[in-house]
Amino acid sequence: MFGYVRPLQGELKLRDWEGYKTAYCSLCHALKERCGTAARFVLNYDFVFLALLLDDESEPAALCKRRCAAHPVQARNTVPITPGTALCAQESVILTHYKLMDDVRDEGFGRKAKSRLAGLCLARSYRKARKALPRFDETVKTCLGELKVLEDARSPQLDRTADTFARLLAAAAPETGDDAVDRPRGQLLYHLGRWIYLADAADDLAGDREAGRYNPIDTRFGGKPDMDYIETTMSHSLTLVQNAFQLLPPNRWHAVMENILYLGLPQVQKRAVAGTWHGGRESRLIHERSI
Amino acid sequence: MRDPYSVLGVSSNVSDDEIKRAYRELARKYHPDNYQDNPLADLAEEKMKEVNEAYDAITRQRSGAGSYQSGGAAYQSQSGYRTQGYQSASADPFFTKVRQCIQAGNLDAAERMLTQEATEKNAEWYFLMGAVCYRRGWLDEARQNYQMAAQMEPGNMEYRQAYAMMNQGGVSYRPAGYGSSGDSCNDCCSTYLCISCLTPWGGPCC
Repeated sequence: MFGYVRPLQGELKLRDWEGYKTAYCSLCHALKERCGTAARFVLNYDFVFLALLLDDESEPAALCKRRCAAHPVQARNTVPITPGTALCAQESVILTHYKLMDDVRDEGFGRKAKSRLAGLCLARSYRKARKALPRFDETVKTCLGELKVLEDARSPQLDRTADTFARLLAAAAPETGDDAVDRPRGQLLYHLGRWIYLADAADDLAGDREAGRYNPIDTRFGGKPDMDYIETTMSHSLTLVQNAFQLLPPNRWHAVMENILYLGLPQVQKRAVAGTWHGGRESRLIHERSI
Repeated sequence: MRDPYSVLGVSSNVSDDEIKRAYRELARKYHPDNYQDNPLADLAEEKMKEVNEAYDAITRQRSGAGSYQSGGAAYQSQSGYRTQGYQSASADPFFTKVRQCIQAGNLDAAERMLTQEATEKNAEWYFLMGAVCYRRGWLDEARQNYQMAAQMEPGNMEYRQAYAMMNQGGVSYRPAGYGSSGDSCNDCCSTYLCISCLTPWGGPCC
């Protein structure tokens, strides 16, 4: 939703970078197949990570070349859609739908109009996804409702506000019935959700202050944020993400995810805390949209 | 039981040294220190046990069947502090009950007891509240509570360790090749320490 969860490309092996691009294109195709063409525009790095995490295959799949509107000439590698990728596609659409609704409510006139339009375009895809995952849709709605109440009350409790988003993300893990998979995956996503929420709050700090909007970090420290403290607590969440990750049975994207968790996220964190992230716009893949 | 070689992630024809290296890496990964007070501690412990058993089985096989070396693996905690992380006994029977709830993973019940049934908020109260928050992933509140406990009773090692762990941002394993996030050697302090270790006298370099 925010595009924070990305690899540190310079440290990736070439074959892992190719793998990452393959997963990226595969998710894009899955979005189209399961939720319609409009759904393709919800694609972003965070959802690609979710797709990597929810994929249960451990053997590398046979690649198939596919073309699309963004790559009409040179076909890109994709892998056949797995149940995990399909699930991720539907969840991405639901999450983006609610993010857009949120923007329509909160943002200034320009963003509001843009989000409303995007929301209309996505409406059909969203209905499809909601039909497939009514329970996830309900959880997202409830958690974001709780978050709105806390934000409106300008809650100074950082953990409580972050918890709503963390629980929402934890709900994205399917229940496989296998404790050794479900618990680490749930924990990983919970702590990652907390981290994303804090990264976003740190990134928005200056803008929110200017606009007089609520910012959980600003409010937690009564207007004088201790950024070292924020960095430590974010690093701690990352540590818990990493420790949970190590308990998962490795799938075929293990090396890429390791790069994301041990190098990509710390890099993003450093810049978000320093206030120099601004959506990381300079390093996007070709049709990356962070709506 | 799974094939011990596949547990260690090596093929059966590698050298003893490689077996040892693979074992050490896995032992580092699942080390109880990384999962202290973590709701996933039991899963890590299971993995650790599996790895220890696999290593034992291989050493047994390789040293010739029959000559059994008991507990050849049994990786020791490096840091020396208790790996349990958490004592279930307390001087106060009420807090013993709360500790048992936390250990059983029943965080709601523990929190209810602390907020509704406790008679006074002493250092242990804050410590246990911190423990509940920590297990939920509420790290900001965990730190505040641990800090309170450590301030109220500075002599208590359990509270001090918990607070120190929060200040440090937790304990994590880093896979081979991922160093220590690339910054720890960039600041002048650690560079100074690194250089100081290389001096013939093993002390400060200047």
